[in-house]
Amino acid sequence: MQGGKYLADGKSQSLFRDKPIKVLLAKPGIDGHDRGMFVLARAFRDAGMDVLYAGLLPTPEDVVNTAVNEDVDVVALSLLNGAHLTVFKKVMDLMKERGIDDISVVGGGTIPDHDRPKLEKMGITGNYGPGTPLKVIIDHITERAAEARQKKNRI
Amino acid sequence: MQSRDYYSRKLNELKSRHSGNPDRERWRRETLAPWNQKTGYGGKEYRNSSEIPIHEIYTPGDLPPDYDKKELGLPGEYPFTRGIYPNMYRGKLWTMRMFSGFGTPEDTNRRLKYLISHGESGLSIAFDMPTLYGYDCDNPRADGEIGRCGVNISSLKDMETLFRGIDLSKISTSMTINAPAAVLTAMYVAIAKKQKVPLDSISGTVQADILKEYIAQKEWMYPPEAHIRIIRDMMTYCSVNLPKWNYISISGYHIREAGSSAAQELAFTLADGFYYIDLGMKAGLPVEKFAPRLSFFFNSSIDFFEEIAKMRAARRIWATVLKEKYDVNDPRSLLMRFHTQTSGYTLTWQQPINNIIRTTIEAMAGVLGGTQSLHTNSYDEAWALPSEEAVKIALRTQQIIAEESGIPATIDPLGGSYYVEWLTNQMEEKAYEYFDRIEKMGGMLEAIKKGYIQKEIAATSYRRQMRIESGEEVMVGANKYQDSSEKPIGILKISKKAQDAQIARLKKVKITRDKAKVDAILGRLEDAMRDPEENLMPHYLEAVEAYCTLEEISNAGRKVFGGWKEPVIV
Amino acid sequence: MNIDEIIEGISRKDSRSISRAISIFEDELLADKAEELIRKLYPKTGKAHVIGITGPPGVGKSTMIGRVSGFMAEEGRKPGVLAIDASSPYSRGAFLGNRVRMQESLGEKGIYMRSLTNRGFKGGLSLSALGACKVLDAAGFDPIIVETVGSGQADLDIMSVAHTVAVILAPGLGDEIQAIKAGMMEIGDLFIVNKIDREGAFIAMKEIQDTLALGPQDKWVKPVLGLNSLTGEGFQEFIAELDRHWEYVNTRGDGKARLQGEVALIMESIFRKSLERLMSDEGGAMETLRRVYSREIDPYMAAELLMEYGIHDPARSTRLK
Repeated sequence: MQGGKYLADGKSQSLFRDKPIKVLLAKPGIDGHDRGMFVLARAFRDAGMDVLYAGLLPTPEDVVNTAVNEDVDVVALSLLNGAHLTVFKKVMDLMKERGIDDISVVGGGTIPDHDRPKLEKMGITGNYGPGTPLKVIIDHITERAAEARQKKNRI
Repeated sequence: MQSRDYYSRKLNELKSRHSGNPDRERWRRETLAPWNQKTGYGGKEYRNSSEIPIHEIYTPGDLPPDYDKKELGLPGEYPFTRGIYPNMYRGKLWTMRMFSGFGTPEDTNRRLKYLISHGESGLSIAFDMPTLYGYDCDNPRADGEIGRCGVNISSLKDMETLFRGIDLSKISTSMTINAPAAVLTAMYVAIAKKQKVPLDSISGTVQADILKEYIAQKEWMYPPEAHIRIIRDMMTYCSVNLPKWNYISISGYHIREAGSSAAQELAFTLADGFYYIDLGMKAGLPVEKFAPRLSFFFNSSIDFFEEIAKMRAARRIWATVLKEKYDVNDPRSLLMRFHTQTSGYTLTWQQPINNIIRTTIEAMAGVLGGTQSLHTNSYDEAWALPSEEAVKIALRTQQIIAEESGIPATIDPLGGSYYVEWLTNQMEEKAYEYFDRIEKMGGMLEAIKKGYIQKEIAATSYRRQMRIESGEEVMVGANKYQDSSEKPIGILKISKKAQDAQIARLKKVKITRDKAKVDAILGRLEDAMRDPEENLMPHYLEAVEAYCTLEEISNAGRKVFGGWKEPVIV
Repeated sequence: MNIDEIIEGISRKDSRSISRAISIFEDELLADKAEELIRKLYPKTGKAHVIGITGPPGVGKSTMIGRVSGFMAEEGRKPGVLAIDASSPYSRGAFLGNRVRMQESLGEKGIYMRSLTNRGFKGGLSLSALGACKVLDAAGFDPIIVETVGSGQADLDIMSVAHTVAVILAPGLGDEIQAIKAGMMEIGDLFIVNKIDREGAFIAMKEIQDTLALGPQDKWVKPVLGLNSLTGEGFQEFIAELDRHWEYVNTRGDGKARLQGEVALIMESIFRKSLERLMSDEGGAMETLRRVYSREIDPYMAAELLMEYGIHDPARSTRLK
């Protein structure tokens, strides 16, 4: 796959010219189903991103600490065990507590339709289910990363 | 045991079976090519999940001479390609074993009693994620996960509730549990003792296949060596005390769900199986005693013939290797008994009713592959735990295959199909290629610890995803024939009440038990863990009977053995 | 966060400020901010011992670093870790996998860890790695452990930021040990054989000692140590040797060259950057180059003109920036 294939938008391309999008993939619950994570990690890398995977069973604290220390643009959360409302919220609460506004959070997994608005309200966007084309996910991450990076670069 | 290069010799032997197929070449030249030219067809290449290229047609020339007599055989006869029993489903249908478990032990107890009242005698229990990882319901990390993917068990009290009013002497129970399998087995024994059921009459299965956890499902607590030691202890203990307990269900299901091909599922599952054979032998157990207690668990996915070939190859490989490499002659030990579950990852989130058709095809493959028991997935499982309505349709699917389709009337009805036999041979070869490579890497455990197996699977999984993305592999409703006017389906919702109830019960357990005794037992358990010669099973039994919690018991091991970090796969 | 807030945050050891500062050094777009940071931070640095750790893949570098930084934290030190991963030559993207390998309980022990990629380390010293070291130094982390991918030129460059370089190997690597030996024997100040419980470990140690004995003999005699990351065996000795080398660098004449060498490298890279700017300027440099090409002036004259012009004409130097 060509580098930056999905980064069609000229503006975000220049934003990430020297420092690509940095994304943290995490399953912050007790959930070891990592097939999707590995596929996403590869696809993101092949789209030219710097990819971190939080490993097995990180706590929400681990996820936020890693996101901060690594100064990622996007945290991509996934759960397939049905605990997304509880666990994703913990991540968001911790971010709020620490005043972090320059890291975007996106979600995915087995998230029923009726939970999506609740997650959106917390600030978690995307919330894609199985079978979502990778391009859709990558475009969304790019968009949210640009948002985060613009905030970060306001120095 | 035979010399170390058994697999490489066997592989050479199998490869020497190949010869060209002049009939097909002639036909291609004289009949097919002109036709394709005239019609403009042709050109498309076919490949299955195992990357085996599929020809247009198969003829007797695709099979080695004397194949019928030597490698195919007849049902109930070595090498069991056609089935492990002489009469297969003409005698007894496969067991329709539906996996269930959710919420509190009370919830699942009601479901189990309902199933028993409808004639089911084989229970199959699913546990929630905290239980599978050895955490109690009151662990902050378990928040939001209690009872979601199965029933929650934090102490013996929960297990007592789960089996309240169920006579353990009259049923067999399959428990899908791995890392804490020995503890759950101990709980089951404790209940049998309370019910005054003799231990040699209780029957059931725990999955306890820890190798595939490191490969695929990722539910472990300790380093591989520690878990393997616990399995060894369970094997030794059970072969004396619980002769009807199946202590390992060697599972390819999760390997496949993690994205492997059919051939990889076959190869890695059997390689795990041979590892357990080595383990039992090293523990000094006679093979005839423990091999019949090992059973298998395969995935049945959507490529119909590939799945059937995989299952037929699996039986043949198991019998052949045990006989030739391990010198096992007891016929019962050569039989590969397996459970099959239809594939989860072929189900689509979009247009979920289509999943019923997928499951039907997969279930048929399982039956034509000669499975001993079958679980059919429900159409709503890409969304959540199945609703009762969806479970019923899944069960009906099996009943229609069993009682309307006529498929069970003949044993191995696809036997003798040039294609199926050729494909069976191809799968077999692919498996031996892996066995050989794994052996050269220093065996299965080394291959897993290096991350080799996991990387092989991740690579296959990624390739498949790319094929789906490009539309080369079709998933109806998902990447082709999409429908934007879809309506959401009703799905099972699990309330947070289960969590509150479980935490309350655990609190009560902790108040009412003898704390000094608990501490003393846990201390002894730790000591026993430090001594690799000591069998842990009696200690687990003592601990659960004193109402030590699952997490307390698991933590003893976390303290002594430590945790384990997997090699980086991506 | 503006630069002053970031600098204030760094002095408080605030992880968000530290992380943002390191990112600034990764991004060419923020080059002027990076310069401002270095100017303001530099006076606050110079305390930390920078330890480079390199070696081929599969020897357990990350796990070992996780352990050694853990032991150091327990002694009351404040280690910071920079882990450098390789980026894909095809997509530029990278898996930052080292973090997973070493992150166990890093947070609880107050160890800051950050992944970087080797991207953009085109020739010469990487300003981003150096900048990251200065940030951690200014924040009071000491020592700073830099882990590299274990191959290639970029690796050797990064190693030149370090005051002490430890080369880590493991038994059973066979040919790799040979290959590594060729390039790494000179850059290592100490040598580690990890997984000392494995077969062949002592032979590997012996081999390294023999190879070292053939090389040039400095006043610093390069120690060869065995480690076991699982049991923690050998780690106290390893830490003691690192300290001893740091002492040597600070007190002995030939050691001190190391410290000045670092400054020279920073200067060099600053010059290289300015040079790049001078040479790439279309208005001036191109014109000058054209004049050289048409033999109007000779290359020396061109260089003199360009440097003078670039440095003395204020309007021009702004544009050059």
